[in-house]
Amino acid sequence: MTPPVIKAMSDVAVRLTVSPAPHWRSKRTVEKMMMCHLLALVPAMAMAIYMFGIRAASLAGIAGAVAVVTEAVCLKLQNRDINVDNYSALYEGVLFAFLLPAGAPWWLAAIGAVVTIALGRTVFGGFGCNPVCAPLVAWAFCRLSWPQAMDIDFNTAQFAMNYPLDQLKHFGVDSLYQFDYKNLFYGFQLGGIGSSQVAALLVGGIFLIATGWIRIFIPLSFLIGVAGTATLFWGIDPSVYADPLFHILTGSTVFAAFFLAPDVASSPVGKIPQILFGLIAGIMVVIIRVYGIYPDGVPFAIMIANLLTPLLDRVRPKPFGGR
Amino acid sequence: MPMLKIHYSLESDLKKDIVDIPAPDEINIRVSNLVLKTGKGKKIAKGELIAEHPSRFGGAYHAPVSGKVTKVNYHHITIKSDGTDNCVEPVDLSSLETGKELLRTLQGLGVDVAPLSSASRLLIINGLNPEPGISVTEQLLRVELKTIEAGLEMARRFIAPEQTVLAVSAGSPYRLDGAEIKQIKPKYPNSLDALVAKKVTGKEFPEETRIMSVVDLYRIGKIVLSGLPITDTTITVGDTNYHIPLGTPIRHLVEYLGLEVSSGDKVVLGGPFRGEAVYSLSEGVKKADHGLFVVKAGSFPAIEDATCINCGECVLNCPARIQANLISRYAEFEMFDHAVRHGLHSCLECGLCSFNCTARRPLLQYIRFAKTQLMNQGAGEQEQG
Repeated sequence: MTPPVIKAMSDVAVRLTVSPAPHWRSKRTVEKMMMCHLLALVPAMAMAIYMFGIRAASLAGIAGAVAVVTEAVCLKLQNRDINVDNYSALYEGVLFAFLLPAGAPWWLAAIGAVVTIALGRTVFGGFGCNPVCAPLVAWAFCRLSWPQAMDIDFNTAQFAMNYPLDQLKHFGVDSLYQFDYKNLFYGFQLGGIGSSQVAALLVGGIFLIATGWIRIFIPLSFLIGVAGTATLFWGIDPSVYADPLFHILTGSTVFAAFFLAPDVASSPVGKIPQILFGLIAGIMVVIIRVYGIYPDGVPFAIMIANLLTPLLDRVRPKPFGGR
Repeated sequence: MPMLKIHYSLESDLKKDIVDIPAPDEINIRVSNLVLKTGKGKKIAKGELIAEHPSRFGGAYHAPVSGKVTKVNYHHITIKSDGTDNCVEPVDLSSLETGKELLRTLQGLGVDVAPLSSASRLLIINGLNPEPGISVTEQLLRVELKTIEAGLEMARRFIAPEQTVLAVSAGSPYRLDGAEIKQIKPKYPNSLDALVAKKVTGKEFPEETRIMSVVDLYRIGKIVLSGLPITDTTITVGDTNYHIPLGTPIRHLVEYLGLEVSSGDKVVLGGPFRGEAVYSLSEGVKKADHGLFVVKAGSFPAIEDATCINCGECVLNCPARIQANLISRYAEFEMFDHAVRHGLHSCLECGLCSFNCTARRPLLQYIRFAKTQLMNQGAGEQEQG
């Protein structure tokens, strides 16, 4: 029998708020999380503008704006509350733009943003439910649909430098003498507009870890996975395989370590699963770079690791006192 | 506002003594799920039995003031004080041998005697403050040592432990006669019984181990020394501890202590992590309450019926290593068997999952809901069988 609800002592003068425990809470919210993630992208954005000109900002702007509008439309069509003010759509739109070459056409940024939200998130249930990192879904979609428009070397022909990973792929380790690692680190290299800003992304990533918005497990194990696998190949034959530092400083390795791999929805939740996830993704990066046809293995490596997430999450400790 | 600075520390910096709060004119004692032993209109003396606990070992409830029962409903009994000191006669416990009769007498005086009902090899006394913001335990260790030791002696007569350990926060000077000391880092959730037992024994849910809190011992000691039933509780408000008659309406405390409560605020009885937000200032304090907190409206992001974003903070913060993210979803869709498979029954209910949830989901609430539903299902099956 359900006991009768008697609010005999309810009070009109002071109406108290009633809610379940705990009554103190950390002040984590989705809005704050996304705001901090956007803030962490600011140094890379600034460096991207310095490196590639105002065009970098316009691509990020288009992608971000279109992503927000797409999210609003998708939510409206589902009769859900339109909560685009939590910045999650904006953030993922910008993430997609960061993977684009500076010379990419504006419509590509727009289509990519639509795909990020609609195909990357909404069809799986919206923010937080996507099994694969949403900007990478869009990246793969565009990379396969418009290979020329997404090609980094082709779209940055006006710069008097080469895309390091294309050089490695097509001309081998001997061609790498042209790259100064210090320049690569500071972001003076070709690549995605934001994803090539190694130093600036590192600053943003460390900010996110220091403020507790991402845990160190995935970034660290990812970088260890990349460095370890690269060292293995390099140790086998340094005249054929590039050194580990080159793999970390080029392509979107650092970008992935701090921004793509730790994507909340598509990465595992436990500590050991997160470490395994990072290692697998990192190992895959180098394997794809060495054996695959795409110069930068990062996007596909992360997507493959994303698909393993539910499996990895089964690696869990026994509960307290459990048998 | 210092209260909003969130920290997990269980340390307390105690300088004051415990302050007695005088009984109000009218008290409200919650009696839902208790066996009522009095009725409307009855005149009762202070310390007279008003209700019994339905379980085998639960302690009885007594009138904290002398007066007349004016209201009785399913939830509460209201007693209007007559202002006199009309009190029941003390029970002489020293004449009783250790055994069933003494145990029943203690139960009748308000002690939950479940921990005393059988012998055990190891007795652990939890001397850590239960939650951040509550300093009752250390305050009692500081100023009521004699009473606690009397309680310990009585507890040992029943439990007959080979070893007694007092768990205290690291660096604190508190000691008990005849108990070894185990220092524990004073950081929530280390004060939970299960985690204290693990720190002391190295095992999770160890066998042959009994754990009692300092407050339990203090209450037993008080009964042993006075022969009178338990009619008050000790509560931390701010940086001071108060002895408060059971059933004292929060309104009385708010007025007496000059707290500020306005509409929209939350008033929490118990701790900030596990306590209960009351709906009315007329609610009376209960035996198990050791803290009173006023959480101002807007201090914290409100709990939402939002979807999980899989950030993993609940899992990474869980001291019981359970999948709170999945359990809460299974509970939400009433798939309780799956919730059990992911560790529901290992949950220690510390509240850290909801505390850290980015999506602001009521995780602890879902867990408690699932536990209750399963318990009720079990009870239903037993009745049918």
